[in-house]
Amino acid sequence: MLTTVEKIIFILAALTSVGFTYHGFKTIVDSIRKGRPAPELKDIPGSLVKAGVAVLFQQTIFKARKVLSAIHMGLFFGLITYAFVNLTDALEGLIPGFDLVYGGKNIPFKFLPAGVINTFNLIADVMSGILLFAIIVMFVRRFITKDKALTFRDNILLNPKVLAGAQARDSLIVDVFVVMHVGARLLSQAYRLNEGPDPFMPIASFLNSMVGSSEVGVHVAWWVSLGWVMFIIPYLSRSKHTHFFMSPINLGLAKQNPRGQLDPAVPLKVIEGTRFDPGAKHVHDLAWTRVLDAYACVQCNRCQDVCPANFYQRPLSPSALEVNKRYLLKEATFGSHPEKLLLPLTETVISPEAVWSCTTCYACVRVCPVGNEPMADIVDIRRRMLIDGYEIDSGVQNALQSLATNGNWMSKGKRLRGKWAKEMEFPVKDATAEPVDHLWFVGDTASFDERVIPNTKMVARIFNQAGLDFGIMYKEESNAGNDVRRVGEEGLFEQLVEQNMAAFGKSQFQRIVTTDPHSFNTLKNEYPQFGGQWEVKHYTVTLLRLFEEGKLTVKNKLSNYKVTFHDPCYLGRYNGGFTAPRKLLELLGVEFHEMPRNCENSFCCGAGGGQIWMGKVAPGERPAENRIKEALTTFESNASDKKQLFIVTCPKDMIMYSDAVKTTGNEGRIEVRDIIQLIAEAVGVEEPAVAEAVAA
Amino acid sequence: MNIVVAIKHIPSIADDLPVSGNNVDFDSVDFVLNEFDEQSIEQAVLVKEAVGGTVTVVGVDLIEELDNILHLAIAKGADKAVKVTADEPGADSHMQAKWLSEAIKGLSPDIVFAGVQASNDLDGQIGPMIAAHLDMPYIGGVSSVEVADGTATVNKEFAGGVGAKYSVSLPMVVGVQAAAKPPRYAPISKVRQVAQTATIDTVEPSGDASSGLTFKKMAPPVATGHAEMIDGSPKEVAAKIVELLKSKGLA
Amino acid sequence: MSNDILVITEHMDGKFSDVSFELVGKAKELASALGGQAVAVVVGGGVDANVFASDATIHIDDAALGQFNPEAYGKVIEALVKEKSPRLVMFGWTATGMDLAAWLSAKLGVPCAAYVKEIGSDLMMGCQAYGGKLMAEVAPEGDMAIAACLAGSFPAEAGQGSTAATATASPVDLGSLKVKFVEAIKPEGGDVDITSQTKLVSVGRGIGGKENIELAEELAQALDAALSCSRPVVDAGWLPRTRQVGKSGLKVKPKMYLMLGISGAPEHLEGMKSAELIIAVNTDKKAPIFNVAHYGATADLFEVAEAMLELL
Ligand SMILES: Cc1cc2nc3c(=O)[nH]c(=O)nc-3n(C[C@H](O)[C@H](O)[C@H](O)COP(=O)(O)OP(=O)(O)OC[C@H]3O[C@@H](n4cnc5c(N)ncnc54)[C@H](O)[C@@H]3O)c2cc1C
Ligand code: SF4
Ligand code: SF4
Repeated sequence: MLTTVEKIIFILAALTSVGFTYHGFKTIVDSIRKGRPAPELKDIPGSLVKAGVAVLFQQTIFKARKVLSAIHMGLFFGLITYAFVNLTDALEGLIPGFDLVYGGKNIPFKFLPAGVINTFNLIADVMSGILLFAIIVMFVRRFITKDKALTFRDNILLNPKVLAGAQARDSLIVDVFVVMHVGARLLSQAYRLNEGPDPFMPIASFLNSMVGSSEVGVHVAWWVSLGWVMFIIPYLSRSKHTHFFMSPINLGLAKQNPRGQLDPAVPLKVIEGTRFDPGAKHVHDLAWTRVLDAYACVQCNRCQDVCPANFYQRPLSPSALEVNKRYLLKEATFGSHPEKLLLPLTETVISPEAVWSCTTCYACVRVCPVGNEPMADIVDIRRRMLIDGYEIDSGVQNALQSLATNGNWMSKGKRLRGKWAKEMEFPVKDATAEPVDHLWFVGDTASFDERVIPNTKMVARIFNQAGLDFGIMYKEESNAGNDVRRVGEEGLFEQLVEQNMAAFGKSQFQRIVTTDPHSFNTLKNEYPQFGGQWEVKHYTVTLLRLFEEGKLTVKNKLSNYKVTFHDPCYLGRYNGGFTAPRKLLELLGVEFHEMPRNCENSFCCGAGGGQIWMGKVAPGERPAENRIKEALTTFESNASDKKQLFIVTCPKDMIMYSDAVKTTGNEGRIEVRDIIQLIAEAVGVEEPAVAEAVAA
Repeated sequence: MNIVVAIKHIPSIADDLPVSGNNVDFDSVDFVLNEFDEQSIEQAVLVKEAVGGTVTVVGVDLIEELDNILHLAIAKGADKAVKVTADEPGADSHMQAKWLSEAIKGLSPDIVFAGVQASNDLDGQIGPMIAAHLDMPYIGGVSSVEVADGTATVNKEFAGGVGAKYSVSLPMVVGVQAAAKPPRYAPISKVRQVAQTATIDTVEPSGDASSGLTFKKMAPPVATGHAEMIDGSPKEVAAKIVELLKSKGLA
Repeated sequence: MSNDILVITEHMDGKFSDVSFELVGKAKELASALGGQAVAVVVGGGVDANVFASDATIHIDDAALGQFNPEAYGKVIEALVKEKSPRLVMFGWTATGMDLAAWLSAKLGVPCAAYVKEIGSDLMMGCQAYGGKLMAEVAPEGDMAIAACLAGSFPAEAGQGSTAATATASPVDLGSLKVKFVEAIKPEGGDVDITSQTKLVSVGRGIGGKENIELAEELAQALDAALSCSRPVVDAGWLPRTRQVGKSGLKVKPKMYLMLGISGAPEHLEGMKSAELIIAVNTDKKAPIFNVAHYGATADLFEVAEAMLELL
């Protein structure tokens, strides 16, 4: 089709494009390789294939935003189709007789049977339409209706380029590219139809009826269409649309360790002659897989949508973190600012206040369609800030100080940890002194907080009633360190692990049960790294088993209650403990309603990752308050005059939500209860009567 | 600048304190650093950071567990640590102040910091006593210290937000109420690193002093655990509260 | 050696602090039991020293004593104590007394008891040690002792009187002092600094609404106190954040903390548990605050507040 001159120009242009593309991706790969060693990945080819399949079916994006995800799917399939279309177009241009128009109808085509060609033409034509539609929706969303979800709140640190609208510019370029490219391709097809419509090219045929056919038109449109491609491919490596290529790779290289296991503060892999400081100060202190995150990021802000800290008006946006990383790397590698890599991350990608606002709820990582881990970066940044003597919140500091001296964050003496147990009407075994079947790891809040202790005692009573052989470690138990680690205090975490390991070493037990999801998470997922290999159960699982084995029986069905259940992050999203609490509630016979955000999508109460220790409390609607409202709305659509309960299975939740019920003025409408309180009522275990303490 | 911080290792009041005989049962309590000493260490390090010098932390090792505390102090910015090996958990402030003074003398300090008080200062605080032994002026209740040209400028706090600024020609002893900045946090990994590398000088206790107090009894205060309830109608309650406040000079 | 009791009084801005009267009152009681004199010692000028019920008042004034100066005051008191050889020297365990008592003890080799709340006529002293967790009874050896007493331990009225003071010159040369007073520091302006208040009326959610803050404010004014609160009150916007007591607010240690409608959550207790006198009014007789307060009443806060206003 092309003239010889055109062919020469085309080949030269194509070579230039390949050159720029190679340079672009080499720069990216070099920059990724500068990251620190990442935790070992197993069977990389296998997981890349799996990721490829996931991408092909667009599985990961459907975790949120269903409609937009469908449209993205259209874009995706359209562009995949277009990869083939462009290839055949190029071949058509270069190889005489390689001509797909009219399939085998008029011009006999040498290479393929007519049926295949017609199918191909039909797909290409329809996909062109879908692509144009999808890109226009995306364009309208960003530029006309200006979807808030694509923007960042004012208090969030942004790269100057981002602030100046670089993301929008990138999008615009790609939008224009798609419209021009697809439009031109359609036109070139339309111009070719010199013998009237082709039933396998409905859109091109329709266009043909308006513009007619033209040999010059074919050439011009062909050049516009393919010229764009040669420009855009190298451009992509420099724009946010690198994700076309990097997302599937990133997904294939995503975290393989359990969700609840943080990467170590310094790489486990020893590199001769390199000494790593804990955590991350600069972007290349991050594991290389997380440098890659920046290139894989779609900049879709799905993670920002689900971030409780972002909801709470804190200056944190996990997507801004990735976006900033990306633009920082771009300025340093493609731009002329390599020195910017030497600025601390807290000046370039995330503000210190934002770093300390993260609840480590994992929602961002869970929702990310490309397997990014902004939360892991935040923890690494905290780690280094602590080492570098950054002035941390006084509440957090007090908590850490107390953890270092007392082994708990509440400034209580070690000996007071088992005080509640000594007050019980039956002896609670000391697991460090006599063998037990279940070692109950109680946790700080459940051991010390007066508001939670009644529930702790109730758990003991129910265990006792069910004949469970259990004991606690009394003063030998220390905080398990889950939140300490997530605050970034790796040294203290290790110290606590050592203390607990020593205590476990003194004890004889078969398995561990814990009432605290935070302790549960670290004992289950992180202690194994320190040699602590045990079966660890959350009390909901243990209780369910006791019911199933008939050791507990429901005497009174609780049909007078209407309840909803909050999945604690560290039980649910982190460890998949969704079913036991729900089954228990079913056994108890309550009327159960699921909140819109449940299980994987559960919304964090706002206490995790050290937030409960914060001395400064920011104004604005707190996540927990929002959650109580969500529960009430759920109840409203199922109105009845039953007593409305908000069921929790985490001592911290008990505190956070009881507080939120009060602060939202909803006392009397909804009550927060630990599941153990319901079980006690259903099983018929009561608190022993206490003499009136108040003097008459 | 030779900056010295005198610290006190004291029974933790986070626990209920068991009593044995007429004193605390020192064998079954945890010992912690006096909370005001955290402030004084911070203030000492702040002074060092401002004008240079070395910070030496000195304490009496009562139960052979002072090393942790001294490592912590080094992790926070102290340069040297000295412990007086007494192994006498019940040593009172007078004894400790005497031993510390003897140990500090040899360090020829320009300024000595101590916590303004400790919860077990039944016979007074070590700060003013060290000042007396070393014949240096003492100012307590201090919330900021600046040093220039052999003179310290300190802010002392009185009640009700009122304070006063003093200038003192060095050497002196400062009783720190609060450092000019909240004490920094020393990450445990750093403390552990210090524990492996730092050396602690040891000194035998020398000198003799006693509080001159005989302990006759030690017991938890009688009326704790529950408020004394004021009964009656709201009017009667109000009257009793007002009466109570008046009797205490509060109304 | 005498059986006299010296009370080192303290004053600021022309006014003696309450603890001075408390100590003089106690000293009188002890002196009469011991057969000695209760002698009030006033160091520094700018104050009317004829206000104590002491048996005698010594007023030492000097240009160098115009403002509290621990070095100058210490020298004067040391000289005076040496001269008088009293049976007991009493200080307040206060910002000034804390600079002097232990220093004097070490200087003179005389026993000293601190955190003193009680003194018997045999000079047996009850000390509130270990953050109030233990009471120690201690007996000083020898024939002179020093007591540094907690404010509010004894009634103040007993010390008020009109004994004429004897003015004396400084017994020591105050020529070359190392410590120099530079200037006074006044509390900053802006909203009330609740951490520096001696009296606080603190309201919780029981106050019900912004419209009721006024009542609490009135009561606070009548008591010459400032108004503070628990967090929900701040969250609701009824009072500014500067008034919040507790974990995420400010830590306070007033002499009086009158709590109206506060349940006593640990986060709140963290900010106020070391207040000297805690009185709680709450309709819920099981409210946890009653385990912490010194005095409590199960009553409606509005009724109590209004009744108190009538009485004040
Ligand atoms: C991380 C975190 C940090 C926190 N930090 C703080 C903090 O710094 N400071 C703080 O205060 N709280 C803090 N809280 C909140 C704390 O847990 C409690 O929710 C709060 O202290 C309760 O305040 P309250 O006592 O005023 O309210 P409530 O607990 O609701 O108590 C109100 C009381 O008023 C009584 N009452 C009602 N009406 C009357 C009446 N007419 N007359 C008399 N009594 C009446 C009721 O019986 C009840 O006892 C924090 C919570 C969390 C989770
Ligand atoms: S872990 Fe949770 S709080 Fe932290 S950035 Fe992610 S979504 Fe936000
Ligand atoms: S990190 Fe993931 S979820 Fe967040 S914006 Fe990037 S691609 Fe989207």
